[in-house]
Amino acid sequence: MKLLAVTNRYYVLLSAALFVVGSLVLYLSVDYAVRNEVGEQLQNHRLELEARVASGRPLPEPVYRDQYSFSTRPRPLGFSDTLLLDPTEGSMVPHQELTFRVVRAGQRPAWVTLRKSLVEVDELLMAVAGSMLLVLVLLLGGILLLHRYLSRRLWAPFQHTLAVLRGYDLQQHQPLALPDTKIEEFAELNQVLTHFSRRLVADYESLREFTANAAHEAQTPLAIMQAQLEQLLQLPTVTDDATAAPLLADLYAATRRLSRLHQALGLLSRIDNGQYAAAQPLDLAELLREKAEQLAPLLEARDLALALHLAASPPRALHPGLADSLVHNLLHNAIRHNVPGGDIALQLTAKYLEISNPGPVVVGDPARFFERFRKHNAASESPGLGLSIVQHICAYYGFGLRYSFEPAGARHTLRVSFGPATGGEAR
Amino acid sequence: MKILLVEDEPALRSTLIEALRQGGYVVEVAADFAQAHEKIKLYRYDCVLLDLTLPDGNGLDLLRALKADNSPAGVLVISARNGVDDRVAGLDLGADDYLVKPFHLSELNARLRAIIRRRRFQGHSHLVFRDLVVWPEQAEVLVHGEALTLTRKEYDLLLYLLANPGRVLTKEAIAEHLCGDSVDAADSFDFIYTHLKNLRKKLQEKGAENYIRTLYGVGYKLSAE
Repeated sequence: MKLLAVTNRYYVLLSAALFVVGSLVLYLSVDYAVRNEVGEQLQNHRLELEARVASGRPLPEPVYRDQYSFSTRPRPLGFSDTLLLDPTEGSMVPHQELTFRVVRAGQRPAWVTLRKSLVEVDELLMAVAGSMLLVLVLLLGGILLLHRYLSRRLWAPFQHTLAVLRGYDLQQHQPLALPDTKIEEFAELNQVLTHFSRRLVADYESLREFTANAAHEAQTPLAIMQAQLEQLLQLPTVTDDATAAPLLADLYAATRRLSRLHQALGLLSRIDNGQYAAAQPLDLAELLREKAEQLAPLLEARDLALALHLAASPPRALHPGLADSLVHNLLHNAIRHNVPGGDIALQLTAKYLEISNPGPVVVGDPARFFERFRKHNAASESPGLGLSIVQHICAYYGFGLRYSFEPAGARHTLRVSFGPATGGEAR
Repeated sequence: MKILLVEDEPALRSTLIEALRQGGYVVEVAADFAQAHEKIKLYRYDCVLLDLTLPDGNGLDLLRALKADNSPAGVLVISARNGVDDRVAGLDLGADDYLVKPFHLSELNARLRAIIRRRRFQGHSHLVFRDLVVWPEQAEVLVHGEALTLTRKEYDLLLYLLANPGRVLTKEAIAEHLCGDSVDAADSFDFIYTHLKNLRKKLQEKGAENYIRTLYGVGYKLSAE
């Protein structure tokens, strides 16, 4: 629920409560004022009549009996309320009456009753409630309009901040660029966020540098290890030893694996570094044919059939190394996660590059396949960096990357769309 | 054949010297830029093995110096910098080939031979190994003077073995030589076995001796004796 909607809800509740209390108070005070005024008028009228009688004149004859009457029989004295029927309206109208005794010279005393009508209760209530309601509606409407205006105007910096945050990508190594605003709270928020993103970028940066340095620094000792192990393998005493030779060979293979891992990590961090800015027009179809040729022995060994559907596509401006790595990792992934005797279908059009292959069902979130060190089989000798590299390269060039699985035939499909990314993204 | 090895890492340097001497080369060494620069100015080499990251300079400058002198020496760049840009820069400057550290010594050997063959004999050379004659330029293999038909991969495999006579070639080195860098440890190396089996069979059919030795769990070796 929007902050404003919540605020408005409280405003409405408060207004309703105020409306009830306000109406009550207003009703009581109007009622009191009317009663007071009527009482005063009755008293004045009485004084007038008493003065008239005292001056020896007789009491006037009553014209409107419901407003003024007298009788020689005693009546209860003082103020009292009574209801009288208004014949024209046909409704009972509340009246206040004042009864007093007049002593007339030479006559029997008279009991005079004066009446004046009060405002009808329902009319008064209607008037009060009506005006209160009008005020309330105006107030609420005003508040809502004001809020709508404010949300557009005052909350604009907040919306802007939100949009910037949503579009934020750590990979670009840029701290957030948030504008200054006059509103203290938003300015503070922006400040905190900017600070936060700076730290994030710095941390990311140092981690990346660390990875790159570690990957690079490891290559020299690895090169020494590998070279010396290979030299050891040349010694006749070693190769003729049935226990030592396989041990050394395993060591050699492990060294090789380690250096491949470091190369892959180095590649990832160089992509992140944006060190592959140089691009040249490259014929992907040609590259795919080349790679397929290169991998032919692997395909043969696993009895895999590779079907290339390479439509003529315009050359793309890519870095040759990255293009090579992209194609290599896609193909390799399809070979590795294939079934014996399976196939690989590779399709290149002007819009996308798609590779699909049958393979065992993979459980888990497809988006996680692209994480580093994510393996289908934990015991696999592959470090699980291939798809991560593919993803980084695609992100680097703004290509879309989509994975889909088709249960019929258990086919895994990876599609690299060259246009801007659309839906079902890997990231 | 005289080779200059420019490498600053002592342990790697000594291993490389040993391996190159085993391969029949005369090896001279430079541990840094200054030494290397002096040597390439004073002496002639068939090939220079050049490390790019030197403590006192950039190997690419040595390459420039060699080219400026119109040196006939071949240049094989060996570098831990796997940046493709480095590779491209090296090749653009006239290096004959580029190897990324760590590399297989047998691969180094094969590349070195290819460079020297191209440079010294302009390709007009042939390899002789016992009853085998190979003309690399024409991709022709003769056994007892008779042409042998091989597939592309079988031929590559044979040439690789011939470049490293008497050396143990690991499965990894062979696989990477045949499939480029793209093959890795997670792949099955069964295909090497298949290719080798076919190669042996074809050689035997032509009456060649079986000089490809299998070292179980390790790799293969072209036996010289």
